[in-house]
Order: sequence, then structure tokens, then C-alpha cells
Amino acid sequence: MRPLDDPRTYLAKGVAIGYLSLLVLIPMAALLNNAFSHGLGVFWSAATSTESLDALKLTVACSLFAALFNAAAGTATAYVLVRDRFLGRGVLNAIIDLPFALPTVVAGVTFYTLYGPHSPFHLNITGTWVGITVAIMFVTLPFSVRAVQPVLESLTIDAEDAAATLGASPWRVFRTVTLPAILPSLLTGTGLAFARALGEYGSVVFISNNLPYHSEVSSSYVYSLVSQGNDSGAAAVALFLLVGALAVLITTNVVARRLALRRG
Amino acid sequence: MAVSYNGVTKSFRGRLVLDGISDVVNEGELTALLGPSGSGKSTLLKIIAGLIPLDSGRVSLAGKDVTNTPARDRHIGFCFQDYAPFRHLSLRENVAYGLKVQHVARAQRREQVDELLRLVRLEEFAEQYPHQLSGGQRQRMALARALAIKPDVLLLDEPFAALDAQVRAELRSWVHSLQQELGITTILVTHDQVEAMEIADRLVILNAGKIEQAGRPSFVYDHPATEFVASFLGPITSLGGISYRPHELELVSTNEPGETLEVREVVRLGFEVRVILGEGEGPTTWVQLTHDQAKHLNPRVGERFGVRVRSLKSSSSQSSPTRESTR
Amino acid sequence: MRRSSLVLRVLVVAYVGALLALPLGFVFQQAFSHGWVQLWAALHDHAMDLAIVLTAKVAILAVPLNVLFGVGVSLWIVRRPSRVSRVLDVVIDVPLALSPIIVGLVLELAYAQNGWFGSAFAAMGLRVMFSYPAIVLASVFVSLPLVSRQVIPLLREVGDHQEQTAATLGAKPTRIFFTITMRSIAWAAAYGVTLTLARVIGEYGAVLIVSGNIALITQTLTLNIGANFDNFNSYQGFVGALLLALVSVLVLTVIGVSRHRLERKRHGSFV
Repeated sequence: MRPLDDPRTYLAKGVAIGYLSLLVLIPMAALLNNAFSHGLGVFWSAATSTESLDALKLTVACSLFAALFNAAAGTATAYVLVRDRFLGRGVLNAIIDLPFALPTVVAGVTFYTLYGPHSPFHLNITGTWVGITVAIMFVTLPFSVRAVQPVLESLTIDAEDAAATLGASPWRVFRTVTLPAILPSLLTGTGLAFARALGEYGSVVFISNNLPYHSEVSSSYVYSLVSQGNDSGAAAVALFLLVGALAVLITTNVVARRLALRRG
Repeated sequence: MAVSYNGVTKSFRGRLVLDGISDVVNEGELTALLGPSGSGKSTLLKIIAGLIPLDSGRVSLAGKDVTNTPARDRHIGFCFQDYAPFRHLSLRENVAYGLKVQHVARAQRREQVDELLRLVRLEEFAEQYPHQLSGGQRQRMALARALAIKPDVLLLDEPFAALDAQVRAELRSWVHSLQQELGITTILVTHDQVEAMEIADRLVILNAGKIEQAGRPSFVYDHPATEFVASFLGPITSLGGISYRPHELELVSTNEPGETLEVREVVRLGFEVRVILGEGEGPTTWVQLTHDQAKHLNPRVGERFGVRVRSLKSSSSQSSPTRESTR
Repeated sequence: MRRSSLVLRVLVVAYVGALLALPLGFVFQQAFSHGWVQLWAALHDHAMDLAIVLTAKVAILAVPLNVLFGVGVSLWIVRRPSRVSRVLDVVIDVPLALSPIIVGLVLELAYAQNGWFGSAFAAMGLRVMFSYPAIVLASVFVSLPLVSRQVIPLLREVGDHQEQTAATLGAKPTRIFFTITMRSIAWAAAYGVTLTLARVIGEYGAVLIVSGNIALITQTLTLNIGANFDNFNSYQGFVGALLLALVSVLVLTVIGVSRHRLERKRHGSFV
């Protein structure tokens, strides 16, 4: 390795670790501490209360639908962006990043106004799973597009052309040549999108109505517990949600890596 | 300025890369560090440069122990295989980098850079950027950049490996004449034995972290100390269980006493012709003929020839185990 | 299939247009729906102006902090890998998957007056939670990996041969950093900085919790917008949204240019 670091490097490394501790490690430790502060039993009953589970079911269902739908829509979008040259392609490419650039609350209030009681389209999907899902779809589209795009770009057209000369139809080419190539990245991107969707707040909270047991997402539930001062309850549900999200992330990453290795 | 290293040992992640090697490089000479991949030659070069630390041993440049001196104070020039151009700087700015570090005044800097660009024949590309240049041009830029600080030693890490054959050949002989003109002590790492044989004043052959042999190219070629050196440095073939260089064998008519073998294949490579002979299921022997010899003898597949050693001089010491007859 | 069919192209443009472009356009439409005079007056709303100032003050501290950290930690992870740096790599990515509400919650648990760590600060007379420091803390937390995620792959790709060469030419580490390293990662860093700025300015859920959402004192622009909507003051809310939407468009432009430059770098100058 390199020669012994000079003292300045040690100082810099120490500062970085201190910064990280203050920011991430200590708060996460506080979460663990607080979630179990009244014991395992209380933790479990708080995490699996009816309201918590109802919120979780709703959140997972909407997030899963949105993530999967956008996995397909995102792939199609990436395909069009990479393979086509048309007027406005640059704008299309740029606007994909909008959910990363636009504050969630702006999206949230806009969806509420567009599709809520004062909707110019005269539809009102406040408090419905449709409304929540649309909001989540807004937030998760870039994940799959940006995950698949670089893979498609580096995938030489040769392989697809070769398949075509062998008589394969465009759909078959996609299914047998393109899809296997993009699957690992798509999986990782979709997993990340799903994890993000599970915790989404700002864009969802306005259109969802937050009726407990009916149209409340998990993040809203945690917020309501916090505003009631029920810190340990909030911590319990939050930890539960967190572990779930992490499990999804780890699983998709592992599966994606295994798929990628198999392809060589 | 001489370079010497003594008992240099280096391990990477538990694997021993260099095993206590020592050598001396004479001033003004071009020494080639030759060996297969993984032999440790690039590692040794980087240790001499001070780019990576050694585990034990010493390195001296110009008689001074530099083992604990950082790279920037060792006064060496280094060229990477990928040329490592400063992509955001023009050709001129690249070459000027070392001079700027030394706080050379602008006018003087410009003058020195112009001279160097003339030396490497890149004056007309001075304002261009590395990505606009070819591989060969980038490597010449890298050389000019290294020479700008007037280093005591020039260290080249497989500098021609990424170039295609023709450019490689041209560039290597050009570097050779440049080195001789400047008289700068140079160490060149390569895995290409032809390249090493062609331009090196001295060969150092490395294998698995140890020096197998060192000496003048022609000597090492004719008197390889080990089977490894013999086969690494040049083609080898066998006759009757003994190893020879293909050009040490000759074809004679079947009337002469000695082995006769049947021609299996005749490969014409322009200037030289390879005749591959064998007997039944036994191993094949390869004899090398010049164009004219082949024309005279006209070997054809199926014909029989006697094969005999061209001269009485044996190409390695009798004690080499691989040279023992298996009969 | 070299080109996608026209049908696919139309479908994609329609989907992206409806999902992304429509809401953006709607913000502009709503903000201008009452004419220029009303808009001008709304832009001078006292609460919103204070919110803008607070947001700016947070960004001025949070963004440079994270850029410094991001570049530094990227260099550490790529150029001096070790067990510690590998752990770092994983820890830094945690904020990406965390719900903003959870972020707010854990920061509050740790730093509130009666919190784990907060009690230590309280003893020193420092108030962390429900004030400016807490908002900075939350902003930094959520944007933590944004710079390094751009810089790390580029550092890996570029390799360190340029830096080693500069060393042999006599340059000291600081000089090498500013003349070689920074120049190679410039566009990746710019991309990361822009994403960080967007995230810091746009954070809602985490700041909602840690700031206490105290009107006129600890409300950032995002909180101000949310509060206006909660109070059925949607026009004022959309005016604030307009400002943020304008910033978003600017951000998108810079991101687009940076990405273009990075692509060119990737395909342009390699052997």
C-alpha cells in the first residue's frame, strides 16, 4: 500500500469519521435504542398494530405496483432515448430527472390540485390507492430509466442485428438478447425505487388524505406518532419499515449480482 | 548515473511478488527488465521510481540511498503503458508541467518545451489535446514530459505495448537512438523478448520475483542459464530429447549418417522458412531455413531428410537437466 | 432493431409528458393564473420571504459541507481502500434508501433536549433540535451520498496514473490534487453539487420534523408551501412552488450539461 500517511491525512480521516458518526451512526443507534426502550414485546405490538399493518399493506401494494409498472415503462423510455434520434429527445432526456430535482412537496400539492377536489379534469382520486400510486409513479420513474440507459448504450447493436439476421422478430430480439443484458441493472434500479417509494412522504401526503386504516401510508403513520409524542412507537414502526426496505435492497442487489455473474 | 537495488522484497496481499532481488544498472545503459506477466518487473520499476514502497531492501540512485525518499524528490522520469496524459492540458502544457513545478520562468519554460517538442517531432501539435493525438504521439509526449525535468534515470513501463506492430517497431528504435544520443540511463520493462533483444544493452530476466539471469542480450541468448531463460528468449525445439534453437539444426541428405525424419509441414514466413519434421507418433522437430536455403533444398511434405546439429558448440551447459538426452 | 417503432415513441412521450411535464407546467399555470400584479404581491409575502432566507442560509452551509465530505471520502474509498473505507462506502449510501420521516425521527431521537446525545448539548446550553442547526443536520443527512456516488465511479475509471506521473515530475500532494485530481473529477463533482443543492432546497419530510415547523422562524420554503396548502391558501403555495420549480429547471439544465460532458469524457479520450 502507500507509504505511511502523513499526520494531515490521519486528521482528515478522523474528521470524516466524526462527521459520519454525528450524522448517521449516532442517530441510527438512537433509533435502535428507542425502539426497544420498552422491551421486545412493546416493540412488536407497536410495529404490528392494526393501524401499522394497514398502512404497511397500502404502502407496499402501491409501491410495488408503481415500481413494477415503471420498470416496464422506464425500460421502454430508456429504449426510445437510446435507440432513437428525434427532435425533442434532449428535452425528454432532461425531464426524466425532474423527480430528483423537484421538491416532493411541490409534486404533492400539484397532484392534489390536479387530481383532487378542484381537479380541472373533474376527477377526484384523493384518498384512493390510485392517487397514491400515481404520486409514487412520479417519484420512481427516473430510477429504472437511469439504471437501464447506460447498459443499453453500451450494448452494441451488433448482437441485436445478429439475432435479427437469424430471423428473430423485434419482440423476440428484445426478449432474448436485450432483456437479459439489462436485467441486473433493472433489478437494482427497481429495488432502489421500491425502497424509496416505501418511505415517500411529501408527494404522497397531500393526495392521500391520511385516514387511518384506510388511506394512510406508513410514513404518514410514523409522522402522526411523532406529532403525538409517541417516540418509541414511532421508532418501532420506523425500524420495522427500515428493516423491510433494507431487506428488499439487499435481496435485489444479491440477485442482480448473481444474474450478472452468470452472464459473464 | 547508476541505479542499484539490493535485497528488494515486496508482497501484495500475501503473495510474494519480489523475492530479495539485487542488481546494478550502469550509467548511460539501456537495461531491459524482461519477464512474463506476474514476474514482478513492473512492481520493481515502480519501487525504483518510489511510486510504491518496498517491504525490505534498499534502492540507490546516483550513489545516494533513496529508499525513504518520495518519488517527487528522486529525479526520475516515468512513462506508463497508457501514456497517462493530463487530459485537460494541451500537449505544450503537459510537457511544461514538471517545469512549472520547478517554478521555471515562463519565457525559459516556453523555450525548453519548444526544444523538447522539436526533439520528439511534435512541434506542430503543441496546442492540441491528448485525445486528438494517436497512441504513438501520446507516448512521445509522455517521453518529452519526462525528459523536461532532466531526470537522472528514465523508467519506461511497457511503453510500446499498447501500440500496433508497425508503430511499436518504429517508436522503439527511435527511443533507442534518442537514448543513445542523450546518454541517459534507462530501464525498460517489457514482456516482448524481440524488443528487449533489439535495443537493450543489458538484459535482466525476471521470473516469479527472482532474477533468472542478467547480461548482454547476445550472451544470454546463446548461453541461457536455465530452461526458462532459453525458452523465454527465443524459439526452442527438440531433437532426440535435447533442446536446440531451430537455427542450430540443419537438413542434410539422407545419404549422410544420422537421424532421418519425415517432413510434416513447410511454413513459409517470407524471409524464413520453417520445416517441421517428425517420425511416426514421436515429437516434432522444427528446423529453420533461410529463403535461399529453402529454395536450394526444396523440402516437400512427405520427403525425408537427415537432421543434424549445425555446429559442435552446444547451446547450454551440460548440467542443464532439460538438455539431457532421454535415450 | 435499430429504431423503436413510432407507436412506442408516442407512448413513451405521452406517458412522460403526462406524468412529469404536466405537473411542472401546471405549477406555472397556477402561479400565473391571477395575473402579474397578484404574483408580485404574493412574492413579497412576509412568511414566504423569511422562508426563502432560511432556505438560503441552510443551503450555504449544508452544500459546501457535503461537497467537502463527498470529495474527500471518495478519494479515501478509491485511492486508499481498506476495511474502514469499505464500511464507509456502505454507510454513506444509507440515506438514499431512508424515508425522510425516518430521517427526521432519528435525528430528533438523538439530538432533542432529552435525547440520547442532545442532553449533552443541552448541558452546554446549545439547542440543536427545532432550530437552524437541526435543519442543516437533516439537509446534510439526506444529501450525504450524492456527491460521492458521482465522483467515485469516475475516479475509478480515470485511474491514478496521471497522479503518479505528476508525482514523478516533482509535484507535492496538494499540487497534484488541485492541478490533476480536481480537474479530472470536475464535471462529476459539479453534477453531484447540483443534485445536493436540489435535495437540500427541496427537502420536506425530514425538515418538517426536526424544525418543529414554527411559522416565521423555522419554516423553510418547502414547509412554507405545505403550510399554505394546509391553510387552504393554495395560490400563495403555488407561488412558492413556482420559485422552486424555476430552480428545478435550472438544476435540470446543469445536470444535463454535466452529464453530456461526462459522456464525452468517457468516450472521447481513451486509448
